[in-house]
Amino acid sequence: MARSLAIKCIFLAFLLLFCSTHSICAKPNIIIMMMDDMGWGDLGVLGQPAKETPNLDQMAAEGVLMPDFYSANPLCSPARAALLTGRLPIRNGIYTTNEHARNAYIPQFVVGGIQDNEILLPELLKTAGYKSKIIGKWHLGHQPQYLPLQHGFDEFFGSPNCHFGPYNDKGTPNIPVYRDGEMAGRYYEDFIITPTGESNLTQLYIQEAIAFIENQTRSNNPFLLYWVPDATHTPLYASRAYRGTSQRGLYGDAVRELDDGVGLILGKLKELGITKNTFAFFTSDNGGALVSKYHGGSNGPFLCGKETTFEGGMREPAIAWWPGTIKPGQISHQLGSIMDLFTTALNIAGIKPPSDRIIDGTDLLPNLINGTVNINKPIFYYRGNEMMAIRIGLYKAHYWTWTNSIKEFDKGVDFCRGENVVGVMTHEQMNHTDSPLLFHLGRDPGEKYLIGNTTEEYKGVMPGIMAVVSDHKKKLIPGEPQLNMCDGSVQNWAPPGCEKLGDCLPVPPSHPHKCVWNH
Amino acid sequence: MAASCVFRLGLVCWVFSLIFCDSAKLSPPNVVILFADDLGFGDLETYGHPTSMTPNLNQLSASGLQFMQFYVASAVCSPSRAALLTGRYQTRSGIWPGVFIPDSTGGLQHNEVTIAEMLKAVNYQTAIVGKWHLGVGQGGKYLPTNQGFDEYYGIPYSHDMCPCQVCFYPDDHCFNDCDVQYSSCPLFHNGTIVEQPTDLLTLEQRYTAFAKSYIARSADGGKPFFLYYAYQHTHHPQFASKAFRNTTARGTFGDSLAELDWSVGQVLQQLRDSGVADNTFVFFTSDNGPSILNQNRGGSAGLLKCGKGTTYEGGQRVPALAYWPGKISPGRTLSLASSLDLLPTVANITGAPLPAGVTLDGVDMSEMLFHNKASQRQTFIYYPVEPNPKVGIFAVRYKQYKAHYYTQGSKLSGSSNRDHDCRNSAPLTHHQPPLLFDLDQDPGERYDLSVDKEYSALLQEIAAIKEKFEAGMTWGKAQMNGTDTKVEPCCNPGCSPFPSCCKCGTSGVNFIQV
Repeated sequence: MARSLAIKCIFLAFLLLFCSTHSICAKPNIIIMMMDDMGWGDLGVLGQPAKETPNLDQMAAEGVLMPDFYSANPLCSPARAALLTGRLPIRNGIYTTNEHARNAYIPQFVVGGIQDNEILLPELLKTAGYKSKIIGKWHLGHQPQYLPLQHGFDEFFGSPNCHFGPYNDKGTPNIPVYRDGEMAGRYYEDFIITPTGESNLTQLYIQEAIAFIENQTRSNNPFLLYWVPDATHTPLYASRAYRGTSQRGLYGDAVRELDDGVGLILGKLKELGITKNTFAFFTSDNGGALVSKYHGGSNGPFLCGKETTFEGGMREPAIAWWPGTIKPGQISHQLGSIMDLFTTALNIAGIKPPSDRIIDGTDLLPNLINGTVNINKPIFYYRGNEMMAIRIGLYKAHYWTWTNSIKEFDKGVDFCRGENVVGVMTHEQMNHTDSPLLFHLGRDPGEKYLIGNTTEEYKGVMPGIMAVVSDHKKKLIPGEPQLNMCDGSVQNWAPPGCEKLGDCLPVPPSHPHKCVWNH
Repeated sequence: MAASCVFRLGLVCWVFSLIFCDSAKLSPPNVVILFADDLGFGDLETYGHPTSMTPNLNQLSASGLQFMQFYVASAVCSPSRAALLTGRYQTRSGIWPGVFIPDSTGGLQHNEVTIAEMLKAVNYQTAIVGKWHLGVGQGGKYLPTNQGFDEYYGIPYSHDMCPCQVCFYPDDHCFNDCDVQYSSCPLFHNGTIVEQPTDLLTLEQRYTAFAKSYIARSADGGKPFFLYYAYQHTHHPQFASKAFRNTTARGTFGDSLAELDWSVGQVLQQLRDSGVADNTFVFFTSDNGPSILNQNRGGSAGLLKCGKGTTYEGGQRVPALAYWPGKISPGRTLSLASSLDLLPTVANITGAPLPAGVTLDGVDMSEMLFHNKASQRQTFIYYPVEPNPKVGIFAVRYKQYKAHYYTQGSKLSGSSNRDHDCRNSAPLTHHQPPLLFDLDQDPGERYDLSVDKEYSALLQEIAAIKEKFEAGMTWGKAQMNGTDTKVEPCCNPGCSPFPSCCKCGTSGVNFIQV
């Protein structure tokens, strides 16, 4: 009795001690930092020879490195939608059915976007008192009803798309940059990116993040910071202070600036004394864009890159960080997906995930805290409306293979940097459903050496994989595809707030048509 | 009062440091070189391998200096080892073309000065554990104990150059064919074969025990020592003892690497236990790139092009870690460095005079290692595994650029390599102008810059470097050409039927007949 009282006293004393420096008692903050087209092999801690990521390497030393972490799609928009909904793009609608197994995303002429019936992470966090901010690239729709503040975010600084352009504002308007619900200007006009790739955008994104963290901490609000800068997506950019400072040209300069941004954000948490109450996660939306050659990232030892469902297209750098809760300096081989960030964040905030729909994300926190590995967790590799491949444990089975069409390839669009594994890196869409191509990613992370379908190993493993796939397909209810229709009139001619800036452009007549997706 | 106290304290510190410095001078540092076999640039976790499990090498990477641009002088074993031990290109020392086989009559010539010989001159104790691969020769005349090493414990060449049967506990077969025409793998202790065939299941444990005991003995004896631990791991056929079988996600290669990793941890622990860790320069690297020929059992060059046997980056850029607590700051370096640089560096830190009258190809790394200064090395010369004086240099690296004058695939990089340039079907090709790559931006050697006029001045500069180097190259007499079964190690000399009669337990006979 006395002992139990003593324990209670100690516990209370602890609680008081921590409460005074707001921890434990307050809901933990959540920071998700997701890069754009950064490759698995771009981090020093993952073998990049160029020394560009001291802060990320330090973050890994203080947290858990997850070498087996995946995107939900090899392209931007679907990957981002998957993270924020915890659901595969084929469920949340950010995909196309115009043609079989085509990658699609949301440039400004796409009519669709994230639907109201999808529940996004910030909407749920709001119910637990969180304030949420997105800084950087949204990419889930351009029209007013698709913008972040309509989907749970309290604040927004950034853009609905990459900084493509410059455009002449006649055939195509320059893309707007928003401050919350209204545009603050347009790329190339008000937010300058020079033809040689100089821009202070990343600095703005860092300042915005720091200010948001400070404000929420001051007002004792738990917060979600969704930091999604896009400097590593072509056209690349870096601010003047970083130009020419890396060994890898503009791409490396951009990585260095982003790495410093990560350092400054984590440094701010340390300065404010809130590290023990903040879960931070670093990752990227899809693999490095090998098609960009010098101007793209590295996928380390993995096959191909962005746009493909080979490892290089979807394996992402990933670091989880939560001092005091997650042991430092660990490596977790738990399979993870960006969709898990949805479920993990909800658990951290003490919220139950929606029960009226299939959520693909699972809670990674037990694995991160205890170092356990759930070996049965599958990873699905989708390209458009097709499940191309699945990974369970160390095995990966390709049900479909496709790099891109020979027509595009002959134009110089090469997602695989000049390599060729015959029968695997196919330029035709090949259906292997009856006898999937099997690789062991433990012995062969580079997907080089097929396990023959007559081997004992194949026969032993494949039935189990097929059962998981069959179950997955049986339960799959595809969402209404949002990326089928395009229309020049839906572009950013007159975004919300344009009238205040005198920057509304005349809207041309509507000509809806089926979008063309080449890959 | 306070000021005087601080002053006194300072004085005490100063006196203390003098004593400390003096004692450091009195006891020259020990040198430990850990040399893995066929371990590729991308094979360690800290070099980006997603499924290797190397906790001890991770620790060594974190507490030492990790090289990202470290080169060995050849893409195959024997010449690479010769270059490491002599600080000279294999073309000078005669360790060409290719590698030694069990009945090779040649070996590292006695007029070549090894690091061990250099250190003997300043009273070091010296030992080698593991794979020698610089020749056995008539009467064992090329064995390590005739090349400056006081002690030797190991197999004098690759363990696939003898019949191999059991590689994994309890009696699992080896996953590669071995050279059945030769005598079984001989385990030497100094000049004596103490076991033939060598039991691979216990080999690494015994190597490690020998290395640890050597460190303990040497530390107790108070004499500085040089330990050259040349692992059989991770060369094919992979093997591992019971404790490491099926312990990793990487299959047989992973198990072999795990045992190597364990052994490295044991050696480092012994240095600490013997109280000499703070006075020991440790260097870990590999002899050449991955043997992609062996597919899943062949290692990984990571993001680099091709592997063993080629002059692409994957053949000769290898992992490298330097460790010396208190002397070498932990971190990663992009400095250009080579195994050729170890001899001059060791000379500097031990105070041993450099070999007299000898052309060295290495540069002293001390300033870079101990003072974070830039590397003195700006160039690196690539010779093929079968160099030919008429063809000469294959490639030249200058700063971040690499010019390929000749390229050729290799069977060691796999006949089905997904990159067709690496396959043995890729013929010897002369490039004029040379292929030019910017290795900073393009470590995978994908995007040729030579057609870009912007680089014509650079190409001229590189051509001048090449010409000058070739003019200064005196080719040593090739040692790889003669064979004679009489020199093949056999614990029952003259027995029949040869070579299967070369079978002994642990009793052994004296092999060196000098």
